[in-house]
Amino acid sequence: MERGYRIRSKPLYDPLIWEEHATDHVVIAYAEGGIGVLKLFQQMTPKEPIKVLFADDEHAQRSYHDIISKLVDEGLQILDDKEGVLSAVSATLDECVMGTQFYIAGNEDFIWAASQILKSAGVDDKNIMKEQCGSLARPVYCVHCKTIDPEVHHNVYTCPGCGRHLFVRDHFSRRLGAYMGLMVDAEEPGNIPDVEEIYP
Amino acid sequence: MSVLNVTVANVEQITDVVKRFTFVQENGEALPKFSGGSHVVVSMNINGRTHRNPYSLMSSPANTESYQIAVRRQDNSRGGSVFMHEQVKPGTKLTITYPVNLFAINRLGKKHILVAGGIGITPFMSQIADLNRLGADYELHYAYRSAEHAAFRQELEALCGDRVHFYVEDDGSRIDFGDLLSHQPLGTHAYVCGPEPMVKLMLLTAKHLGWPSNHVHSEQFSAPPIGDEFTVILTESEKEIVVPGDMSMLEAMEEAGVDAPFLCRGGACGRCELEVVETDGALLHHDHYLSDAEKTAGNKILPCVSRAKCTRLVVNL
Repeated sequence: MERGYRIRSKPLYDPLIWEEHATDHVVIAYAEGGIGVLKLFQQMTPKEPIKVLFADDEHAQRSYHDIISKLVDEGLQILDDKEGVLSAVSATLDECVMGTQFYIAGNEDFIWAASQILKSAGVDDKNIMKEQCGSLARPVYCVHCKTIDPEVHHNVYTCPGCGRHLFVRDHFSRRLGAYMGLMVDAEEPGNIPDVEEIYP
Repeated sequence: MSVLNVTVANVEQITDVVKRFTFVQENGEALPKFSGGSHVVVSMNINGRTHRNPYSLMSSPANTESYQIAVRRQDNSRGGSVFMHEQVKPGTKLTITYPVNLFAINRLGKKHILVAGGIGITPFMSQIADLNRLGADYELHYAYRSAEHAAFRQELEALCGDRVHFYVEDDGSRIDFGDLLSHQPLGTHAYVCGPEPMVKLMLLTAKHLGWPSNHVHSEQFSAPPIGDEFTVILTESEKEIVVPGDMSMLEAMEEAGVDAPFLCRGGACGRCELEVVETDGALLHHDHYLSDAEKTAGNKILPCVSRAKCTRLVVNL
């Protein structure tokens, strides 16, 4: 990897911290994002109204909703799954006014799925606090057939849409909420580099 | 910098202290297109000295046959507005810069709250033409001193219908920023142009109500204030220039034949920023561009509006 060089579109994430000047707080989390919620509630809890929308990953071994229910005493909605959280976000937006601070915790696919719902309501992702939790799996967009694979763990993977072998780049599209995946053996069909898990 | 040669086609007295000027291009051609919120810098030759003042374009961007600006007469300043009021008549020839926009509407905004104080109404008049054309949701809140200062009120009523709200200071009516900014839908952008205390109050209120700074926009053009004489030393062009008390540093450099960069000439855009190498006194910052930290650090200056209280100021130019 070239040193002293970065792809500017690659998003960087920070731990969630309560925003001092908000009038309302909405925390959106899924699966391992539960850790982000728990860390947030270890800080001094703000006085303003708080809403927490959370679902466990039903297939995961670890669940967080019990602990979160004990810590969050108001405004908590435990949903069934990821889709449940995302539709609860949509349902919440109409009541929200300027001054509401949004927090998202989860893997990268979830962070950007939730960000896109907020964006449709006019919330700029720069103003959303985002914490990446759990897996480093990347959502990747196939530039050839436009299929997005929500969780890619390897440097090279097979596109579920067109079957091409795609190389995962660092270039990230905020509009699509995904990294760019590019055919790796276009010039020499079958010449595929070693496949390694680099986004565990 | 390329300029446009214009002829004054019309001058209208709007209130006691505000006149509106209509410019057409001297060669009869259409003027360049611009976007709502743009301004031009008007050059004036006053007693052999060139003054350049920024003014917002207030005519509709859909009209490229002419540009309109409004000038409020400021008697206690350096004379640009008085010159416009007293010397500029229909037929007067002037040069203006191409329009530049430092106060554009955010096209991704779901709703727009426009707040004007006094002559600060002008950039909104071209923005409203854009907002109407786009069918955007907006509100205009316009505060002025007294009924006789209600510049453009009827035009605004015709342009905005029930989207415009008037506040007359002498009647005790003020904009309640806390109320205005506490129940706006997500995706709203707020814009303010007016006297400094009003701009500061709105920015501060928005911050305390949790508005992210990229949803709050302001424009203020300062006139260069009068100060004490000092000498500016340019390291690269190896010149020593005396800046008289009633001239800005930028004007003094231009007078001495230095091709210094500039754009807005009102301390808003930062284009003229210079690196301060050393000074034996204090910098007097009057711009709205540098952060407080940068102003305190004292190694940058905007010569269009800022000056120094010193005998010598060395800058890298």
